[in-house]
Amino acid sequence: MSDLVNVTIDGVQISVPKGTPIIEAAKQAGVLVPHYCYHPSLPSPAVCRMCLVEVEKAPKLVPACVTTVADGNVIHVNNDKSKRARESVLEFLLINHPLDCPICDQAGECELQDYTFQEGRAGTRYSDYAKRYNPVEDFGPDVLYVANRCILCTRCVRFMDNVAGDAVLNVSERGDRAFIGIDPDHLLDHPWAGNVVDLCPVGSLISKDFLHKARAWDLDKTASVCTGCSQGCNTMIDTRDDVVVRLRPRPNLDVNRHFICDEGRADYRWMNRGDRIEAPLVRDGAKLTPTDWDHAVERLGALAKTARRVVILASGRASTESLGFVRRMVDGATVTAAIKVPLGPEAPLAGVPNLALRKERVPNLAGAGLLGYGAEWPAAVAAVKGADLVVVLDAVLDDADVAALAGAAAVVVIGTVDDDRLAGATLILPSTNVAEENGTFVNRDHRVQRYFQAKPAPGLARPAWWIAAEATHAARGLAAPATAAEAFAALGAMVPALAGLSYADLGHTGRVVSPTTAGAAR
Amino acid sequence: MTGSTHAHADAPHHPVFVGKVREQLDALFPKYPTKQACLLPALWMVQEARGWISPAAIAEVAEVLGLTPAYVRGVATFYTMYHLHPVGRHFIQVCGTSPCHLCGSDEVLKAILGATGCGELGATSADGRFTVVEVECLGACGFATPVLIDDDFHDSVTPERVAGILARYP
Repeated sequence: MSDLVNVTIDGVQISVPKGTPIIEAAKQAGVLVPHYCYHPSLPSPAVCRMCLVEVEKAPKLVPACVTTVADGNVIHVNNDKSKRARESVLEFLLINHPLDCPICDQAGECELQDYTFQEGRAGTRYSDYAKRYNPVEDFGPDVLYVANRCILCTRCVRFMDNVAGDAVLNVSERGDRAFIGIDPDHLLDHPWAGNVVDLCPVGSLISKDFLHKARAWDLDKTASVCTGCSQGCNTMIDTRDDVVVRLRPRPNLDVNRHFICDEGRADYRWMNRGDRIEAPLVRDGAKLTPTDWDHAVERLGALAKTARRVVILASGRASTESLGFVRRMVDGATVTAAIKVPLGPEAPLAGVPNLALRKERVPNLAGAGLLGYGAEWPAAVAAVKGADLVVVLDAVLDDADVAALAGAAAVVVIGTVDDDRLAGATLILPSTNVAEENGTFVNRDHRVQRYFQAKPAPGLARPAWWIAAEATHAARGLAAPATAAEAFAALGAMVPALAGLSYADLGHTGRVVSPTTAGAAR
Repeated sequence: MTGSTHAHADAPHHPVFVGKVREQLDALFPKYPTKQACLLPALWMVQEARGWISPAAIAEVAEVLGLTPAYVRGVATFYTMYHLHPVGRHFIQVCGTSPCHLCGSDEVLKAILGATGCGELGATSADGRFTVVEVECLGACGFATPVLIDDDFHDSVTPERVAGILARYP
């Protein structure tokens, strides 16, 4: 292979494609080159000088972020010479950086803190000099700029210019007076502007929403998928004491690279709602009585088995597993199934192809499509009249939808949030939301992606697939899956596209399936 | 900077790049590979015409060169010779580097600050006539103290000569 070159990095020999920057080659060799200005989704300006490494036979240290490997390179990231260079850069950065880690939101996930701890000087030689001081600036809807902490890596400037295409940030002034400036006539209010907070390697750009809310080391992190639209950006749910406190992007180079939009980022408060259904409620005459799951699923199974005409009104946030097993529960009946798809304006991220906040503001539109759920909501609501059974699967209903439910013989609500308007239902069954269960969504490009449980479910709430599968087991004796993984594996029998796929196949970045052929064949 | 009129920060912005100035700029474009490369000359033209570079002028330069105001602002703030605040009709730069300092530049500066009525460095006199700043080496160490007024170079300035020189700048 002529387009591969052989290099040795800290004694590890690897072959990488020609043109690979040293910093990426080092990653493949398992060596982290400390860096600030470099980011894999941004152009590299080589301004921070942190990634200087020694290449044997080169006259001086080279920046690993912009220097590409050459065949036979012997590169030292962790020898004395490179380490001394980094120690000097860190000393420069710390001349003006305040030691306010105890009140800084970034502490614990700060690259300046980490690298200084690893290989910085133990003390300062500048204790006699006052540090530069600039006031905190309000940049926009969710971003504060703490100028004192800024190390001028310019990631934010490059993101807004090269990726968002809305160049409102600049480097103003120069030398030790330099700071990140904002066009005085503009705010940092681009729909994807919140990413500058994640890009900032220090605590200089911080989120107002997350300000002083939690310390980084108190957070538990769970891989998830954004529920905001059909793009299916990969996210990380950060919880503190089982409360979701923020969403951040999780890298997936094929879907969202390193970014999520501000709307998706802010869309987590509903996961913490306290007004939840916590126990199965079954109708005994005029009133609903709390009961256990054995009894509840028996009642549900009986209803589902005898119903001839069924309507399923589902939420687009329902997992593929839940949509599949609720649909299977009423097999044999005439079924009208639809998900509600709220629409909103599309907001693309200019610099990344095929990445946008999509018009369809549900995460599982394609998954619902695979399982026979339409998006024709008004038609499904119209079909309620005269139906034997309506299953409301966590859908957010407006008053007209609720009024239409009166036309059905029986209404079963499998839902998360308590809704007084649905008190006339035959069964009200508590289900888990996206933060409380394992499941999958299928994004608009038919990428099946897993999300993981981030916090415990309230009360007796169970995943909707479990409720439906247990009901089907009770009524018809069909085997019920015990785990989400088993539930997903069983979906293959319902949808050819998912046949043969397992959670292990999906990994953390998902897998694209063809809507028409079997998944395992790919 | 010669002939500049004192401008207030809140005065309405009239376009700089019209007529002759526009022609000057258009003549520059073919000399550079990109319009962006004409940013520094364009900023000089603004300063020449208005005496300083206002936020509105920054927006105009950005528009004319197809750049963003934020970028133009970043460049304009980088260089210390662009005025981002209004200055007097005549801009006086006094050398204060070591050789001049030893030869008494402090006294010259004090005399100029007093005679102009500016009082302190960077301030503009009440009549809007002068702004005085101290600069590093004007490159005439053998002729201390050099003073640059607008584009005119005065060497070997002493406190005694200050009044006579200033009289030439109404």
